[in-house]
Amino acid sequence: MKRAVQLLILSLALAGPLTAADNNARYENLGGKIMCTCGCGQMLLKCNHVGCPNSAKMISQLHAQVAATDNDDEVLNFFRREWGITTVVEPGHHGFELIAWILPFAGLALGVALLAIVVHRWRNRPQEAKASEVKLDPHLETLRARARQETEI
Amino acid sequence: MPLLGDFCLLFGLALAAYCFVVGIIAFSRKDEAGYRLAESGRRAGIASFFAVTGAALVLVWAALNNDFSIAYILEHTNRALPIPYKLAALWSGQEGSLLFWSWLLAGYALVVRVRHKVDTRLVATTSMVLAGIQVFFLLLVNFAANPFGIMSRVATDGNGLNPLLQYPEMVIHPPMLYLGYVGFSVPFAFALAALMMRYPGEKWIHITRRWTMVTWLFLTCGISLGAHWAYAVLGWGGYWGWDPVENASLLPWLSGTAFLHSVMMQEKRGMMKVWNVWLIFVTFMLSILGTLLTRSGIVQSVHAFAQSSIGAWFYGFLMVILIVCVVAFIKNRSHLKSENKLESLVSRESSFLFNNLVLLAACFAVLSGTLFPILSEWVRGYKITVGAPFFNKVMLPIGLFLIFLTAVGPLLAWRNTSLGSLKKNFAIPAALSLIVGIILIPLGTKPWQSIAYLYSWLAFVFSTLVIATVASEFIRGGRVLQSKLNTNLFGGMYHLTRRNMRRYGGYIVHFGVVLACIGIAGQAFNQEKEQEMGQGDKLTIAQYTLVGHEYTEDDNANYGSRAALLDVYKDGKYITQLTPEHRQFKASMQGTTIVADYSTLKEDLYVIYEGQNPDTGHPIIKAFINPLVNWLWIGVLVVVLGTGMALVPNAAQLKSPVTVTAAVGAVDSAGAGGASMRPAGARK
Repeated sequence: MKRAVQLLILSLALAGPLTAADNNARYENLGGKIMCTCGCGQMLLKCNHVGCPNSAKMISQLHAQVAATDNDDEVLNFFRREWGITTVVEPGHHGFELIAWILPFAGLALGVALLAIVVHRWRNRPQEAKASEVKLDPHLETLRARARQETEI
Repeated sequence: MPLLGDFCLLFGLALAAYCFVVGIIAFSRKDEAGYRLAESGRRAGIASFFAVTGAALVLVWAALNNDFSIAYILEHTNRALPIPYKLAALWSGQEGSLLFWSWLLAGYALVVRVRHKVDTRLVATTSMVLAGIQVFFLLLVNFAANPFGIMSRVATDGNGLNPLLQYPEMVIHPPMLYLGYVGFSVPFAFALAALMMRYPGEKWIHITRRWTMVTWLFLTCGISLGAHWAYAVLGWGGYWGWDPVENASLLPWLSGTAFLHSVMMQEKRGMMKVWNVWLIFVTFMLSILGTLLTRSGIVQSVHAFAQSSIGAWFYGFLMVILIVCVVAFIKNRSHLKSENKLESLVSRESSFLFNNLVLLAACFAVLSGTLFPILSEWVRGYKITVGAPFFNKVMLPIGLFLIFLTAVGPLLAWRNTSLGSLKKNFAIPAALSLIVGIILIPLGTKPWQSIAYLYSWLAFVFSTLVIATVASEFIRGGRVLQSKLNTNLFGGMYHLTRRNMRRYGGYIVHFGVVLACIGIAGQAFNQEKEQEMGQGDKLTIAQYTLVGHEYTEDDNANYGSRAALLDVYKDGKYITQLTPEHRQFKASMQGTTIVADYSTLKEDLYVIYEGQNPDTGHPIIKAFINPLVNWLWIGVLVVVLGTGMALVPNAAQLKSPVTVTAAVGAVDSAGAGGASMRPAGARK
């Protein structure tokens, strides 16, 4: 029993700093997705110019939001509401905004699938097209030979 | 003068339209009368260049002579503007830049039409396609964005040029980009003409290979100059912000790069014909899309100075191009039959396939991210911003994979590569890159510390792999010739390169690309600091200390400026004085930053005059340490050198040139290389 209490106390003692470290990482991560609205065109945590009218307030809001909620999307939505939709420069990871993240990789997957089909068709072609089917002028053959030579030793 | 300019534009449009219409008639008639029509169309096309040149000269003359009766001159120049920037006014506004585009296109078309003897029939159809593109742009400058609009009241001075554009690189950055964008019209026109004519073989590729490479080079220079301008002028410490207009220039560059690689498959093995045709179609359409994004204002961009309401014209033009390309492809797709099959998945052919796949995936990722705000507005009613963090997350892994492929591809043989030869070729480069990777860890590149460090570490390792493979290719080939020619290794490598400029020029390009990647990888270690600095105050960043020496103000007819003279010490030792400056332009009432940069191969000390504290009157200085950034610019220079080398004929070719003539079944007895010219599409 005594051991269990000791473990509990130890866990609680460790949980505080761990949460703080976790929040700090979240703060850095979210700060890298929000743009300062002063017109400097910089990310919030990068905007440190003296006299910036907005960054100090936005940074304190970010600290407060990170402490208040575990949901990063809620934090980003808070900034969208407070400072405008263009403040957050990275799409979210849920709902419609998730499409932005999926699209590039869907494109790549589609490309891989098409490539697999093309390669499969090429490799399973019964025989190569006969040279006689493709009537090339000897000069063009010379050009092709030159191309071969130019891309080999 | 404005009337003369208007007349030249209208005359140019009439000539281009004539060239286009008679080109279509000649293409469909295929007889002697059609041939004569095609020849007259070619001549009209040549004349259109001189008409458009006349219009461009009128606008330049008006800028140099402060003719503020022309609205465009009033908007983009003023009396105090230095002469080079007055010349740059030609492309610094919407109407002028479209005129400039039309002029460049007419110039490219002129070269094609004058060199028609390279293949008279193919050039006749190509000229028709180019004339169609010319007609679109001349319609725009005549009726939608006329640069010769007249003011009802003549002002005494103009509004001046956008201050951000008053920088030497800005005089050459837009022309380079436009030369790149417009240049893709030529391979596109040749490809479309060859497809429409069912032209056998790869002649259109042989004819357009140099066009494409030169165009790609211009686009590379244009993009790099834009990046360098952003670095030197915008004062945010970076050079690439994933702005939609920056992305727009990257799109045709990526697809054009894929095209430059994949045409080798067609040239050497008669494969990927459909792919190549569509790749150049897409590249041209992306060039037009880039212009649409820049001009229409459908996306928010720092290039907003060029926006207007001519987007609808570009939408229409893009649709027409797409329809023409699809119809031409459907009608003639049987003509694009591959002559060979893929023999092995471990071969140079498959590496080209992967290279193309990854380049196009990168292109699609940039395109989807750039257009996503528009998509979100359609679907959700508001624009979701997609900025640099998104693109960095998506593009960096793709870029790293591309560098890896750049290393592996050249080690694979055509048709089939045995595992033994792959091991033999790959062992030393792989070992070297691994050693570099291990050495980097104690030097501070700890890949487990953050994702930025991991990417940076991988970039260094893969770059070493590419450099080692390129070096091994030169050394291996050089050794063969060293013994044959009884010379030293460098002599052997020189002769090797001279005998095969295209291949080894290509390797130099790869080398340049990885040098640029090393420059980009240094970003993970950037540092920055800002503080208010009175005289004698110190700002310390990394091993540098800046000491406020003096603060000056200056005034001339064009702008007023404030500058800080800062003594720079490195590890306590004086090294130089930097003068960051802020300029306030009088005509436009806009300010701009002149960055002071102490640049070494290891890092840049980049200092900007951020502003002045209104309470204390002290300047606010911001300093950045940007490691390795110089390697980016050196890499670009090496890419230019390599592309230049690849354009030079081989030593053997110089001795015995190969005469380019036409293909059997496509050319009548008169011969394409002959003096006579047959109508487009004509058969005997």
